Amino acid sequence: MNLGVVDYLILALYFVFVLGIGWFLKSRVSTSEDFLTSGRSVPMWITSLAFLAANLGAQEVIGMAASGAKYGIMTAHFYWVGAVPAMIFVGVFMMPFYYGSRARSVPEYLKLRFDEKTRGLNAITFAAMTVFSSGISMYALGLLFQLVLGWSFTASVLLSAFIVLVYTFLGGLTSAIYNEALQFFLIVLGFAPLAYLAVSSAGGWDGLAARLPDVMTHSWRYLGDASQNPMGVEVFGLVAGLGFVLSFGYWCTDFLVVQRAMAADSMSAARRTPVMAALPKMLMPFIVILPGLAAVALMNSNFGYSLPRKGDGYDYDQALTTLMTQFYPSGMLGVGLTALMASFMSGMAGNVTAFNTVWTYDIYQSYIRKNAPDSHYLMVGRVTTVFGIALSIATAYLAQLYNNIMDLLQLVFGFVNAPLFATFLLGMFWRRSTGHGAFTGLLAGTAAAALTHGLTLAEGKGGYLGVWHEFPSTMAQNFWIAIFAWTACFVVTIAVSLVTKPKPASELKGLVYGLTEIPHDRHEVWYKRPAQLGIAVALAGVLLNLLFW
Amino acid sequence: MFDLRIPSGIFFVLLGLILVSMGVFSPETRAALTTTNVNLHSGVLMLLFGGFLLWLSKRHV
Repeated sequence: MNLGVVDYLILALYFVFVLGIGWFLKSRVSTSEDFLTSGRSVPMWITSLAFLAANLGAQEVIGMAASGAKYGIMTAHFYWVGAVPAMIFVGVFMMPFYYGSRARSVPEYLKLRFDEKTRGLNAITFAAMTVFSSGISMYALGLLFQLVLGWSFTASVLLSAFIVLVYTFLGGLTSAIYNEALQFFLIVLGFAPLAYLAVSSAGGWDGLAARLPDVMTHSWRYLGDASQNPMGVEVFGLVAGLGFVLSFGYWCTDFLVVQRAMAADSMSAARRTPVMAALPKMLMPFIVILPGLAAVALMNSNFGYSLPRKGDGYDYDQALTTLMTQFYPSGMLGVGLTALMASFMSGMAGNVTAFNTVWTYDIYQSYIRKNAPDSHYLMVGRVTTVFGIALSIATAYLAQLYNNIMDLLQLVFGFVNAPLFATFLLGMFWRRSTGHGAFTGLLAGTAAAALTHGLTLAEGKGGYLGVWHEFPSTMAQNFWIAIFAWTACFVVTIAVSLVTKPKPASELKGLVYGLTEIPHDRHEVWYKRPAQLGIAVALAGVLLNLLFW
Repeated sequence: MFDLRIPSGIFFVLLGLILVSMGVFSPETRAALTTTNVNLHSGVLMLLFGGFLLWLSKRHV
């Protein structure tokens, strides 16, 4: 890819604006809560876009186009099944407890609802995981820019990390959130023309359907049997594993996204944040997945486009960037590249700000230094920004040296995360569940995940304890690991809770269903009422699935 | 109070101006696989979007 002067100019213009927003917001930070939780003051449309953008890292954009090329429109299930229902659920049903509890973070909610050890377990694994995943995506970005632009790995990693550092250091969470909204616009406007050009060159949706195997243009028709579709999953594994356990586990408990909604300026706004975000979320496949399908269709029709080869197959990860170089002239190419950079930064800033809050409030203030004046925690929050980014950079280099360790760590974090949703579900909706129950449930769920992985085999992965079952794909294996982990956590939490002493009702006010006041909104118009809005968004989602059945 | 619609609007207007002038003054800058003047069309899109954000910020305070 050859960049012209104008492309660099556009990239520089973008840097000026993100840094400028950080600079403007600097004056709004005077307490640690301003810096780490935005002081609950951000308008709803901005928190919604940030909710979406924080999850929309560069790896996601590149990876979704790659999966689109590999599996077809079925990839959209990661949005339609794997995100939209959970986003509606967290807004309508769970946000009253997160926002109403006045907890400053998700681990802190666990402390208020259960006990110290449950919070500690969640805070420490979450902090380690965010640093790790921002390091991994930094590594991916460095590799990509090296491959596509010929930039040095070190230069692109350090430059992007430095920009994120400056604007989060200046304006804290508010700055990260405001920039995420700008980044979201840029991602959409930077990639949508590419999707349009690639798909219309391939003859529109009908052209895609004619040039691709049937299985790639139907999202549900081939899910009855794992052997019929390229993902190797069947409908129960997909809906229960991805649609329920993994998706609800991520969207409803991951502080990275929940933090954005908790920064909203009222309870109603916090509840509508993820619900509103679900609307653009369900349309994202048309921007990020369709180009992948178009790439394969163009290749099948001698259009002059071809995916680069890798070993015996194709390098699907390059679908998006090669399309960009073929369809974008100098100028728009700069915008596309900047959009890629923006998606990387939004993902990274999401990790950094979530790490900051959990580190400062849930680890530092809880275990290292209690009862210091607030200005001390503000200073710690700022220092943590630098320290967290430095750790991410170190992780990126570690990933470059020891790829196997990274795979292993990713696997272990997967085990720890899988059961989380069972804990929150019981904590929020079953008054009788106890801290001992939650803690042992989480451990049992993690153990069940590791055990399932050890006893099953898929594409040569797992099976180190003997092979009881073989899955057609690692994706199916992951879905089933999640299902077993969730079930184990759910059952053990209930069993242990029944034999341990529950917290008195007075301590659970604002934390559990039945003991929390949910403000009445009958006098509002329907789109300002979270539940009504949720129903409308859900209907739109169902319609989309029927259209692409 | 800081209104994000203003800086975002300005950003997209500037982006649009750069792209439209590329499309007008250097229409021969084309990508390999398309004959469309991509810069001109996308530039107009950006200008419209940026203008829309600025209009919104004027309308609702």
